[in-house]
Amino acid sequence: MARAVKTHTRLRGARWWKEVGWKHILALVVIAFCAFPLLYVLSASLSPGGTLTGSAKMFSEVSATNYVKLMDTNFPRWMLHSLIVSTATSVGTILMAAAAAYAFSRFRFMGRRGGLSALLIIQMFPQMLAFVAIFLLLLTLRDIFPFLGLGELTALIAVYLGGALGANTFLMYGFFNTIPIELDEAAKIDGATHAQIFWGVIMRLVTPILAVVGLLSFVGTYGEFILARIVLAKPENYTLAVGLYVWASDERNAPWSLFAAGAVLAAIPIIVLFMYLQKYIVGGLTAGGVKG
Amino acid sequence: MRKHFFALAAASLALTMTACGGAAEPAATTSTDTTAGAETSAPMEAAGTLTLWADENRVDSFNALGEKFLAQTGITLDVVEKPTGDVKTDFIAQVPTGEGPDLIVGAHDWVGDLVKNGVIAPVELGDKTAGLSDISMQAFTMEGSLYGVPYAIENIALVRNNKLAPDTPATLDELIAQGVASGAEFPILIQQGAEGDAYHLYPIQTSFGAPVFMTGDNGEYTAELGMGGENGAKFAEYLKKLSGEGVLSASIGGDQAKQAFLDGKSPYMITGPWNIADFETAGIDFAVLPVPSAGGQPSQPFLGVQGVYLSSKSENALLANQFLDYMTSAEAQTTMYELAGRTPALTESADAVDDEILAGFGEAGKDGQPMPSIPEMGAVWTFWGAAQISIIDGSATDPAAAWATMVTNIESAF
Amino acid sequence: MTTTEQPPLKRGPQLSHARDFSRPGFYVKLILMAFVNAFGVYGILASLPGKDWAVLAFLAVTLVIADYVYFSKRAIPAKYLMPGLVFLAVYQIYVMGNTAYVAFTNYGDGHNDAKQPAITQILKTSDRRVEGTDTFPVAVFERNDKLSFAIVKDDTARIGDQETPLADASGAVIDGDRVTEVAGYELLTLSDIQSRQKDVLALRVSLSDNPDDGWLRTDNGTLSYVAKSSLTYDATADSFTTPDGKVYTADATRGLFVAEDGSTLTPGWRVLVGVDNFTRMFTDSRLSGPFFKILVWTFVFAIGSVVTTFALGLGLATIFNDDRVKGRVLYRALFILPYAFPGFLAALVWKGMLNQQFGIVNQSLLGGASINWLGDPLLAKLSILGVNLWLGFPYMFLVCTGALQSIPSELNEAAIMDGAGAFKRFRSVTLPLLLVSVAPLLIASFAFNFNNFSLIYMLTGGGPNFVGSPILVGSTDILISMVYSVAFESGVKQYGLASAMSILIFVVVGFISWLGFRQTRKLEEIM
Repeated sequence: MARAVKTHTRLRGARWWKEVGWKHILALVVIAFCAFPLLYVLSASLSPGGTLTGSAKMFSEVSATNYVKLMDTNFPRWMLHSLIVSTATSVGTILMAAAAAYAFSRFRFMGRRGGLSALLIIQMFPQMLAFVAIFLLLLTLRDIFPFLGLGELTALIAVYLGGALGANTFLMYGFFNTIPIELDEAAKIDGATHAQIFWGVIMRLVTPILAVVGLLSFVGTYGEFILARIVLAKPENYTLAVGLYVWASDERNAPWSLFAAGAVLAAIPIIVLFMYLQKYIVGGLTAGGVKG
Repeated sequence: MRKHFFALAAASLALTMTACGGAAEPAATTSTDTTAGAETSAPMEAAGTLTLWADENRVDSFNALGEKFLAQTGITLDVVEKPTGDVKTDFIAQVPTGEGPDLIVGAHDWVGDLVKNGVIAPVELGDKTAGLSDISMQAFTMEGSLYGVPYAIENIALVRNNKLAPDTPATLDELIAQGVASGAEFPILIQQGAEGDAYHLYPIQTSFGAPVFMTGDNGEYTAELGMGGENGAKFAEYLKKLSGEGVLSASIGGDQAKQAFLDGKSPYMITGPWNIADFETAGIDFAVLPVPSAGGQPSQPFLGVQGVYLSSKSENALLANQFLDYMTSAEAQTTMYELAGRTPALTESADAVDDEILAGFGEAGKDGQPMPSIPEMGAVWTFWGAAQISIIDGSATDPAAAWATMVTNIESAF
Repeated sequence: MTTTEQPPLKRGPQLSHARDFSRPGFYVKLILMAFVNAFGVYGILASLPGKDWAVLAFLAVTLVIADYVYFSKRAIPAKYLMPGLVFLAVYQIYVMGNTAYVAFTNYGDGHNDAKQPAITQILKTSDRRVEGTDTFPVAVFERNDKLSFAIVKDDTARIGDQETPLADASGAVIDGDRVTEVAGYELLTLSDIQSRQKDVLALRVSLSDNPDDGWLRTDNGTLSYVAKSSLTYDATADSFTTPDGKVYTADATRGLFVAEDGSTLTPGWRVLVGVDNFTRMFTDSRLSGPFFKILVWTFVFAIGSVVTTFALGLGLATIFNDDRVKGRVLYRALFILPYAFPGFLAALVWKGMLNQQFGIVNQSLLGGASINWLGDPLLAKLSILGVNLWLGFPYMFLVCTGALQSIPSELNEAAIMDGAGAFKRFRSVTLPLLLVSVAPLLIASFAFNFNNFSLIYMLTGGGPNFVGSPILVGSTDILISMVYSVAFESGVKQYGLASAMSILIFVVVGFISWLGFRQTRKLEEIM
């Protein structure tokens, strides 16, 4: 769509408003909707004491003390853990989901259809009691592979990779199907193996969806605290989401202003990552490339 | 070609295997037997290590206490921080696996659940417990056995902003009239929230003579609900009256009440010691007083007692008992008071406390009863809060009838 | 879009390069597989001492399959599926299996552990101090590797061990109220006691030949007290007996020791209870009342959430997929802001913002209105949907932005040639193509929201409650939060019941989703 109008001359006046200008207005409205609750958090993070939601007045006091105090807590460590876990999980998820999507998209085998649906349906299983099962599992694993046991970041990554297939595979599968099979055929005639086709042809053409899945998986693990707090067990090992959850968990004594400051800082990596990935998601694709 | 491959694979396998095999043994022993390993490898003096779970508010004080304990006994106290909401659940879930800690710190009203699940052991300290206040002992006692060592008592009281109200009348109705006359936005703040808050209303409820459970001759609760009947109905009507006067509202949760008090929007707030530090930081001149009676009888807030429990599967029960012993000492109780700022359970330490605020809370709680700790209390809390909030927000039009339904529902949930 | 019509790619003798030694890729694979094998074999060896047979079997089978898959010329799809499936099996299927197993047990408060620990615990709590007896400072002595307790009673030193009741000690030295020396015995220091704590704790020294007098025991190695057990366990009859003859017999179907009058001992233990947990969902009369209302709202909530988030996400993705809009890189980044904050925080903040009296929505945005956003049944439902829209649209926005890239621009250009307007192009070209790839995700999103317990729990707690209902459920409760109310909030946690109920819900959602998938498959075939 976009490319079709690229050749048009620059729009002016009423025409510009009709076709482009209103989009800016809309964007501002949506941003207000998105950011408003977060301004609340920002305001609480800049106020030196008190409550999170007690007042409707915003930015009545502004001070950076909470951010300074935050650096004396475990927060920087949690942030580091979160970045490690989320990065490793998203890379693993991309690789495994892409491989699975390639198999579903390019090969015909028994149970292919059913398998694809089953992957999604399995993920719908309610995790209400997962905490008991995961705990027992990691206890057993700890005696055999200590790095997959309780308290280890690697164990948490492995738990997250358990959910690597499912929706991600589906998302990629849909995208892989749009890559013409003729490309595979051509490569095969040139003597490429299926692995070479996967790495050399397909993976290069599906960058947008890799970026999307990577981002979804990164954000998903970044904010996850239910499984993480079972696996990580000790505050020194926590990820950001668990640490913040623990701060907020005791309503009577919660350090709300620290919590708010932590939440604001926590959001920054996601925004930066998305800004960076956008060019792969949206701009990294030329029509000619895909169509071969 | 094929042969080559197998030879290669076998060789690489064997190589990696021996590499791993070499590391396997020590790894296995350290992971299967951490406590024993810690004991033997620790320096000569150390007699062992105890693991204790505490929530984020108590970790620091127990770490400090642990250092004193180590100096005295050579036993290391490894304090592990757990989220407030997870301490009890995780403990119950992990004790059967043998993974749980030796000790946990928690409120006395967990006793019922912990005993029912068989995860804590009775404690026998002989004369050591003689110095602990009766009420704190009663809180940790179930069916005649003591199940933990109490170290601190807390309860709610009336906190007054001295600038807005210099003196306090004897009854709640007069107090509200005074508050209204003062022109403040709220005559008094009592936090509720969407799910209700029976805990903060309990001093008022008891002043109508409607305790949650009847008490037996020995001062312990019986299983008979005391909330029903005429007194309960009177209290229910009173709730409606308070709501009509704008005192109670589902909109006023803990956060909102605290902020309003900090902003000077009300001369009074019913709250506990946990908010005191913030009031002091905000520079408010305040006093802590008993909650005035509304129904004619004395107001009795719930007492919450903090204590240390011993796991029934502790591998270090003897060391753990030595720690519990130590917890009963004046040194430990006074240290905990200094670090956490709650009234000590040991009478000797409590008498030594010279603090106007704590004295105020103590005075407010002098008639108080410990929160009931039977497992079914969970059901009581939810029905209780829900019934109160339905009266307050007007969704229950007949307060007395709503109250009677609540009593029936609680009884059928048991 | 056209793959379904493709002839099968892989058949018969088609070349796989699984053992093509001329390619460097083969050696990469070989090294990787060497590591995998080493890892697996190491795991098998390490699971031997702990007798973790299940782990051992799993590792062995997986290892054999992996070696077959990666060195065989067949099974090409399996080469790509295996890594993900292994993780899936360990971390998801196992959890499902465990939950399914729990559903058939009475696991929960009061039935927390196996039978043997329960017996131990009952014995432990029944062995307690005889009321009104004295306590004695105790010294622990050792002779021939056997531990003894020595106390001062009536000013004389007495000593005894597990077999010998307390008797006067010869050649004893008393210091104050403690025995410090006994001829022929060695006194244990505190650190000796600490290092032999289990033996010291287990030691019971009878006061006399008469067992009714009780025995001496210590908990801390310094103080001893007279204790007696109020229960004796008979292993052959599998029962406990009190001194006055009351017998508690093990009831294997309930996991409890029960007396004839119906009284029981605490704690019980875990047993299999068959399908009891499943049938209770249908027989509990307290559930049937609000069930229908809750079921309807669950569907409304789940479908409504999917429709609103998808509509907004897709709309924004389409509108801002336009490179004439300057600054769209920043706009897009800000659109995903709600996604960048932890979900529980969002629920907390929204709850505060929607507060009737203090919330910023009423106070500032609506100029002091008093709208009861979370307390009115209808408004609470709308608020939940609104907050879920805020939380959920960035996901849809991202997915749609990604999926839009796969739609060939030629199609749109062709539609423009045909003179189709923007909306028509969207409806007849973009939307159908997009739906093919995102429909399964919409179904997944439906399933997720069907079980979106945390949002409901944190925002409204299910309220406003149905007034006077015998279980605490309210207008915004969905099935899974009702399960929570029933299984946990009655004060007694019933994991078995919760598992059974969540499995039933899973079956319902899974079936609906499966129907949905069949529909989307048709959709795909049409394309």
